Amino acid sequence: MEDNRSKILSEVRGMVPALSGKMNGEPLVYLDNAATTQKPSQVLDFLSDAMVHSNANVHRSMYELSDRSTSLYEVAREKVRSFINAPGRENIIFTSGTTASINLVADTFCRRLKAGDEILIEGDSHHSNIVPWQLAAERNGAVVRVIPTDVMLGKGRSGRVAFEELDSMLSDRVKILALTHISNITGLVNPVGEIISKAHARGIPVLVDGAQGIVHEKVDVQAMDCDFYAFSAHKIYGATGVGILYGKTGMLESLPPYMGGGDMVETVTYQKTTYAQLPLRFEAGTPNFTGAASLSPALKFAEDLREGEVGKVLKDEEGRIISFMTEALSSDPDIEVYGTGENKAPIFTFNIKGVNAGDLAQLLDKMGVAVRSGLMCAEPLINSFGANSALRASFAPYNTLEEAQTFVKCLNRAKNMLL
Amino acid sequence: MTIKEIEQQIVEEFSIFDNWMDKYQYIIDLGKSMPVIDEAGKKDENLIKGCQSRVWLDCREEDGKLYFSADSDAIITKGIISLLIRVYDGHTPQEIIDSEIDFIDTIGLRQNLSPTRANGLVSMLKQIKLYALAFKEKDEEKAAAGDNGKYSIEEVQKNVIRALKQVFDPEIPVNVYDLGLIYEVKVGEDRSVFIKMTMTSPTCPMADDVVNDVNNAVSDAPGVKSVQIELTFEPEWDESRMSEEARLELGLM
Ligand SMILES: Cc1ncc(COP(=O)(O)O)c(C=O)c1O
Repeated sequence: MEDNRSKILSEVRGMVPALSGKMNGEPLVYLDNAATTQKPSQVLDFLSDAMVHSNANVHRSMYELSDRSTSLYEVAREKVRSFINAPGRENIIFTSGTTASINLVADTFCRRLKAGDEILIEGDSHHSNIVPWQLAAERNGAVVRVIPTDVMLGKGRSGRVAFEELDSMLSDRVKILALTHISNITGLVNPVGEIISKAHARGIPVLVDGAQGIVHEKVDVQAMDCDFYAFSAHKIYGATGVGILYGKTGMLESLPPYMGGGDMVETVTYQKTTYAQLPLRFEAGTPNFTGAASLSPALKFAEDLREGEVGKVLKDEEGRIISFMTEALSSDPDIEVYGTGENKAPIFTFNIKGVNAGDLAQLLDKMGVAVRSGLMCAEPLINSFGANSALRASFAPYNTLEEAQTFVKCLNRAKNMLL
Repeated sequence: MTIKEIEQQIVEEFSIFDNWMDKYQYIIDLGKSMPVIDEAGKKDENLIKGCQSRVWLDCREEDGKLYFSADSDAIITKGIISLLIRVYDGHTPQEIIDSEIDFIDTIGLRQNLSPTRANGLVSMLKQIKLYALAFKEKDEEKAAAGDNGKYSIEEVQKNVIRALKQVFDPEIPVNVYDLGLIYEVKVGEDRSVFIKMTMTSPTCPMADDVVNDVNNAVSDAPGVKSVQIELTFEPEWDESRMSEEARLELGLM
């Protein structure tokens, strides 16, 4: 059993070269996976191979190289489709990241709003799921309202979104809901399916920010029934600068074009332009086609980590990491964890009383441990806990219990130096 | 010691440590032992922009030299500022402006900071130089005012007396002027000031402090170029030298 565990763990880790690297002369313990993941050899090899053998602009030319490139791009689109069980290719739009995907929807969908219309977002939102809505709302006097967390309501310290408030907030003025699948701070998994049913009962469409959700949950967009789902390739072992926007066909068709240019057109005259069919309509300009294509091996890797014996071992490991971390952090009376309770992904954000998070991160760096400190693009949420910065350790399926133990040991050493 | 010499001293101290954890421990200890500044000093205008952690830096001038105080919510940052303060404290604005410090690179601090913290360090250095520039300008204004007779001798005389009324005797709650401790105030053509003063008793243990306070207050008075103080006990002070206000104040009338 134990042999099997260590064999599988070392095989998985062996596939991700960065994990056996060093930082400041110490073996790297990479715990900033919510920010970005390390890449497996499959992805790295794919990228360099694609650059050598298939580098030509997509959807444009008649020669074989271009066909190969277009084919890799479209194969990746199909891979994404099947990974999230979208109905068709037209539902998968490549963007430059989660942020770009949300901006696309916020900008185009909200053009139809009027003064007084409401956009609902969550109290645990990442800035990328706040600011695009504020920008869009400003243009026509719409209002962004926030479904608060228990902390914001003064009713608790868990950081869970108080969805019981939703019933009183949903009204005819609400035109769209922007949810977070898993918070990048609390790691708490939101019951998006349930909320979506409630919203749909009132005819309100829902966008889900899946930047973290896609990594830690199996996503089936049809079962979830979301209208939009946004995520980034780089957080799920793929290249940077690539994002995905899933949208229901009718929803996407109802949106006006976003950016103009390149391949998003059917015919262009100086008088009038007609636009391409989905999904190309929203892919103006040369996309990051090599990066997007890397989603084929990246999502394959993600699937491999979820399936069969490997999947079982990694799931067990994740459970042990969560228990160990929860126990270690909650047993220290000086520590407050932001995000507690059931249904939590292995993302731990916290503060040690009297110690600056940046100081901790800096000392951990010297011990080879990579963690994030600061506001982590969720200033309102961090502030709601009464903090103006925090430390975050976020685990990926390739992390081990030993790494969690090293983290806690180094954290205590840093704490003792600073206190 | 010159700025360069202090830098050299710091470099030598750091050379004892052969790994960065020990260097950090040293910086942390410096941060912990740095005097805290009170909440009043943590004004928004003293907050340095461009630091990830919050850093306040204040500066005052004494006898033409600058002295800094600072605070931060991050201990490592505080330790680093304490090094900067150690290097710059007690130097003239011009010396600070002219200095090009390199100990931060020599001890490898800059390379070993995260980029955000390294940027913060640059912001702190910039703020120190900005203070130096501001004080230099102020000093020059003051000097110019003295030179071109912006303040007449009579005005300077009044300013000096106003300043003297701000200095209090440590034992009797009356200012040194109304107490009658000041025997003579002479303002020269060049706006240099000569003060002859006494103490309430020749055995006053606080004499040095009082003379110092008088010196500081008068130097800062508008138009004053320099101050010279002569302490005398001839004639000896007695209560009759107090002004009416002072006597009223003390209930002697
Ligand atoms: C919940 C959440 N939303 C949005 C984003 C933004 O992703 P990206 O920077 O790849 O656009 C992130 C990543 O930091 C995230 O964690």
